[in-house]
Amino acid sequence: MAIVDFKFALEQVPAVLKGVPWTITIAIVAMLFGLILGLLIALCRIYKVPVLNQLSILYISFIRGTPLIVQLYVFFYGVPVLVDYLNPRLGLHIDADEIPPLMYALVAYTINTAAYQAEIFRSSINATNAGQMEAAYSVGMTTRQGLTRIVLPQALLIALPNLGNVFIGLIKATSLAFAVKVVEVLAISKIIANDGYRFIEMYLVASIIYWVLCLVCEFILFKLEKRMSRSETRMGLNASV
Amino acid sequence: MITLKNIKKSFNKNPVLHGIDVTVNKGDVLVIVGPSGSGKTTLLRCINYLEKPDEGSISIDNFTIDEKSASKKNILTLRRKTAMVFQHYNLFKNKTVLENIMEGLLVAKKINVAEARLISMDLLRKVGLEEKANDYPTQLSGGQQQRVGIARALALKPSVLLFDEPTSALDPEMVGEVLSIIKNIANEGITMIIVTHEIDFARDVATKVIFMADGVIVEQGAPKDVLVHPKHERTKLFLKRLTPEPEYEI
Repeated sequence: MAIVDFKFALEQVPAVLKGVPWTITIAIVAMLFGLILGLLIALCRIYKVPVLNQLSILYISFIRGTPLIVQLYVFFYGVPVLVDYLNPRLGLHIDADEIPPLMYALVAYTINTAAYQAEIFRSSINATNAGQMEAAYSVGMTTRQGLTRIVLPQALLIALPNLGNVFIGLIKATSLAFAVKVVEVLAISKIIANDGYRFIEMYLVASIIYWVLCLVCEFILFKLEKRMSRSETRMGLNASV
Repeated sequence: MITLKNIKKSFNKNPVLHGIDVTVNKGDVLVIVGPSGSGKTTLLRCINYLEKPDEGSISIDNFTIDEKSASKKNILTLRRKTAMVFQHYNLFKNKTVLENIMEGLLVAKKINVAEARLISMDLLRKVGLEEKANDYPTQLSGGQQQRVGIARALALKPSVLLFDEPTSALDPEMVGEVLSIIKNIANEGITMIIVTHEIDFARDVATKVIFMADGVIVEQGAPKDVLVHPKHERTKLFLKRLTPEPEYEI
């Protein structure tokens, strides 16, 4: 028997692939809700909305200052305690054990990624020239119209490479979702590995699956950036010459 | 008619405008000149509330706004009576040339797309940039961008057109094309307030000139009075510095 049993590894690929839908679901759902939440937080910070601004600073500091795995644990063990505390006080009858693990993962990853996305949006909105908003005002737009029609489309273009990084980071971070009992790619690999003591084989399979997923994302992001930056062709950085 | 009464503005307790009064009649071309830091750009930006005056009222036609009545709604009303041409053009980078001009018509004037496109193409023809309609601002030269900026402002048919040093950021050879367009629209009887350092142009196009220094109006009147035969020492000094006599023979 070889030191690394490639045949065994290959045979296990279909089983591990069953974890991919979980990985993708968590990454995409967290990304989408993170975009919305992140943008709202960024706007609260830029326009210095009272109370919300201070809360945002605290939230971003906490999320960025603690490891994701710790956040998952706190969330996973904290929510049942919170539910037990709230049930009698609000007259609810929620059974914390009935909440599916995926739900924990989706909420926890969204909360985590929104903090990073908020900072990306804040910097990219600030990076768009102040003159753009002034021009929007000067043609009679409201702040909301200036944001949605002029500033945010430009900010999104600036933010895109960083948002891509966040998404790729999210895909890899889903490997921690076993902490909240979601059986995704790495979890399946670990379970199979434990059965036959085939650790290196299974971790190789998992790493290749993550890598392929990230390659696909990189390709999509590359295409997206090219498509969206058509108004910047003379800026040099994106020119294909 | 535009009336500014007692406009005061400070930045961080540093006064920039010490109570400015200005009246501009319909069809007037008011040119504001003065040294850097005199407050002329700040005054212009106060007129459409890009800068919020600390005190004072602004009246355009029958609409008056002051520091107490400056609600979001009133500021919007004021802005929709004015349009501005910026020193650095500030064209919308994510919109084509044509879309830049249409934007204000669609959003502020609520004109339908087909009509807005017609009006915008007409104006592009006027500034000689028809063939650039579908280009993005980054593909245009500075002079071309500023011509689009002028078309964008004209499209709104404002009660007053504000120009903030429209040629200061341009290469010398592009200044002429922009100034001649401004001159053409001045001849159409559109009310304009222009902040500029181009004294020859001011003499040419202005119906009234204001000379500002250190946040006050030093002198105002007809172009030939202020720019050719100034009464005040400060004005004389400024004009002398702009056209220095050579101190040595070449």
